[in-house]
Amino acid sequence: MFRLLQTGAGIIILTAGLAPLAAQPPRPGRNFLISRDVPDPAAVERGQKVFVARCGFCHGSNANGGESGPDLVRSVLALDDEGGDKVGPVIRSGRPDKGMPAFPLTDDQIKDVAAFLRSRQQAAIDRNTYTIQNIVTGDAKKGQAYFNGAGRCNTCHSPTGDLAKIATKYDPVALQSRLVYPRTQRPRRAEGPDPKTVPTKVSVTLASGQTISGTLEYIDDFDVALRDASGDYRSFSRDAGVKVDVRDPLAAHEELLKKYTDDEMHNLVAYLETLK
Amino acid sequence: MKLSRLVFPALLAASLSGQGLDPAKLLKLPVDTWPTYNGDYSGRRFSPLSRINASNVTTMTSAWEYRNNTGAAGDDNTSIKSTPLEVNGVLYFTVPDHAWAIDARNGRQLWHYKWETRGGIHIGNRGFGMYGDWLYFETPDNYLICLNAKDGTERWHVEIADVKQEYFSTPAPIVVRNHIIVGVGGDSLDVPGYLEARDPETGNVQWRWNSTPRKGEFGADTWPNQEAMEHGGGMTWVPGTYDPELNLYYLGTGNPNPVMAGQGRKGDNLWTCSIVALNPDTGKLAWYFQASPHDTHDWDAAQTPVLIDGQVNGQPRKLIAQASRNGYFFLLDRTNGKNILSKPFIDLNWSKGVDAKGQPIPDPAKEPHTNGTLVIPASGGASNWPSPSFDPETGLLYVNSTSSYSLFYLTDTEDKPEGYGGRDSGVWSKVALKAIDYKTGQIRWSHEYGRGGGGSGILTTAGKLLFTGDPYGNFIAYDPATGHILWHTHLIANVSNGPMTYELDGKQYLVVGAGDSLHAFTVLH
Repeated sequence: MFRLLQTGAGIIILTAGLAPLAAQPPRPGRNFLISRDVPDPAAVERGQKVFVARCGFCHGSNANGGESGPDLVRSVLALDDEGGDKVGPVIRSGRPDKGMPAFPLTDDQIKDVAAFLRSRQQAAIDRNTYTIQNIVTGDAKKGQAYFNGAGRCNTCHSPTGDLAKIATKYDPVALQSRLVYPRTQRPRRAEGPDPKTVPTKVSVTLASGQTISGTLEYIDDFDVALRDASGDYRSFSRDAGVKVDVRDPLAAHEELLKKYTDDEMHNLVAYLETLK
Repeated sequence: MKLSRLVFPALLAASLSGQGLDPAKLLKLPVDTWPTYNGDYSGRRFSPLSRINASNVTTMTSAWEYRNNTGAAGDDNTSIKSTPLEVNGVLYFTVPDHAWAIDARNGRQLWHYKWETRGGIHIGNRGFGMYGDWLYFETPDNYLICLNAKDGTERWHVEIADVKQEYFSTPAPIVVRNHIIVGVGGDSLDVPGYLEARDPETGNVQWRWNSTPRKGEFGADTWPNQEAMEHGGGMTWVPGTYDPELNLYYLGTGNPNPVMAGQGRKGDNLWTCSIVALNPDTGKLAWYFQASPHDTHDWDAAQTPVLIDGQVNGQPRKLIAQASRNGYFFLLDRTNGKNILSKPFIDLNWSKGVDAKGQPIPDPAKEPHTNGTLVIPASGGASNWPSPSFDPETGLLYVNSTSSYSLFYLTDTEDKPEGYGGRDSGVWSKVALKAIDYKTGQIRWSHEYGRGGGGSGILTTAGKLLFTGDPYGNFIAYDPATGHILWHTHLIANVSNGPMTYELDGKQYLVVGAGDSLHAFTVLH
């Protein structure tokens, strides 16, 4: 739904959606999406064993429902629970009218089962921890052909030069993102150029005819700022008569964005994955 | 329209003096009063004021500034996304858990109200609704709070959704006669969406409209089973619009759940991602138009549906328009929901065109897949909650639009996925202010901002001005006919709400939120 971040749910909202993806999910904890207590991992582990042994046959070993038992990840009662205060009485008394027998679990076992259920709920809630599956599904040979052919990647890149051992530097998910467009999303008002990408060069020609060139630091409709060869910061008003020439080193990537098929992208990932 | 149907005489008499809102103001163009989220019911955000105009805007200068202070140690979200109400010289606005009243002439604080939260996602709050002397706003933990406008004291609070089920609430309530219309949000865990009307005196439920059908109801055949539809999402998180003559309330609904994994909810998934027309007295559905059948990209259709009294083929028509998150501009007949025009306002790669009803046909190849699908736009969409504006003098609908590519990954491949079931990672985006000809959907002019995301609302005025923010902290006045920049200033943060305006003592004020501050501008006479 939202996601405008700073713009709101779209930004935070934009930001939540645009957060860089890690191949290995970070350990869950309280964050923007998780405002309730995160259960103790040891309790979760104990609770999982109890749940799989005693409850999983009906409710599914992941608690998301089975042939005869409802989904407990979405269960209002389980979501309302704190430390077993709601699920405990149901476990111990059963629901004979619905065919659920009573289970004489101890207080500690009930707390552990409640911790396991909370962890399952939070695993569904916290989308930033979802694990991306295998994405190296393409044809490396076709990817190599695209690299040297239609994609014209070899115009700027070399598998033995700048891309040598590239697969050891980035995991496949990061590699796919960076081959599509090699710049990480970052806050709009962040200072300085993106450290992980080729700098954008800019030349500013003043009304007097003087030209100042350097690395682009900032530009909007009204001002432009650069860092010149000596490292000095220079900013200029974009008044009438001032010409600004920005040379985007990633222009070819922007053009390719509009042309890639998903197969071509996956083939390229498979090819780059061979560069180890 | 009959005034007697629209106004309660007793309330009218009681409210003609003092701080309270005269309900008749809700039926007029906003001049000395900005009585509801969009200024009036139409969602146009067009002001008839012209003291600040194209010929003097270069002399516009600061009138006052106000910086909010929540009194907390850093973890509050203080960004002002609400559009302040202005009633009898007082501005009322909110951030999550906090509300303020300040003097509209000078920014002096009259009161501050703080809600002790029980949790929920604190992403933003869109502000107040007002009924007589009473103000209404929603909280991240899903309470509707009624405050006394005079002093900010709490009259009552009622729970409108369960925070433990991952609901959280952001919309500004919309007041239609004696109905306080409240929506809810939250799509982390597959809960059903709904819209409610609440009683202004007690907060009790008058009606509830479910945004997904229940078993056996009309629309149920667009879901595979009862569990899918009753966990199918469809949040109601952006305030709607209202036509008093037709007595219809128009709302854009949220995306279906699970958000990015559609395999457990095959079908169109009504009434998610739709524009719906409801009777505000009963909550009954009059018509619907689905902007994104079977969405799998988080592209809700919550964006403000704007009422346009215009012409189609030379005939006067009651129209409704939306620049939707999925990248389509839609023009409908608001008496019956029939589609007149569907046209993309950014380049898209997910649609195979539109069907006979004007509804986009999603390309299954562009649904999220485990190995990543490259899609434009990203989940944040071509547009989002920031308010569009329609200027009846130019006939153009203005929207801050985002062109963005993102990799969509399906992460939950089970038959019954849960939560989002997938992730997306934006790789590239550019923002542009676009002027859309409502009759043709063509882009009359576009102002490109470069890389970044859009988060600013838009205001147009009879002073032949358009006000909005750019992604770099500038607040800018444009010529709405041409897109030429006439004035700007740099604020301490990006414009974070929709600008609004009002006139007091012969002086026009323009007020805009930027982060934790409100900035007021005027021209000197």
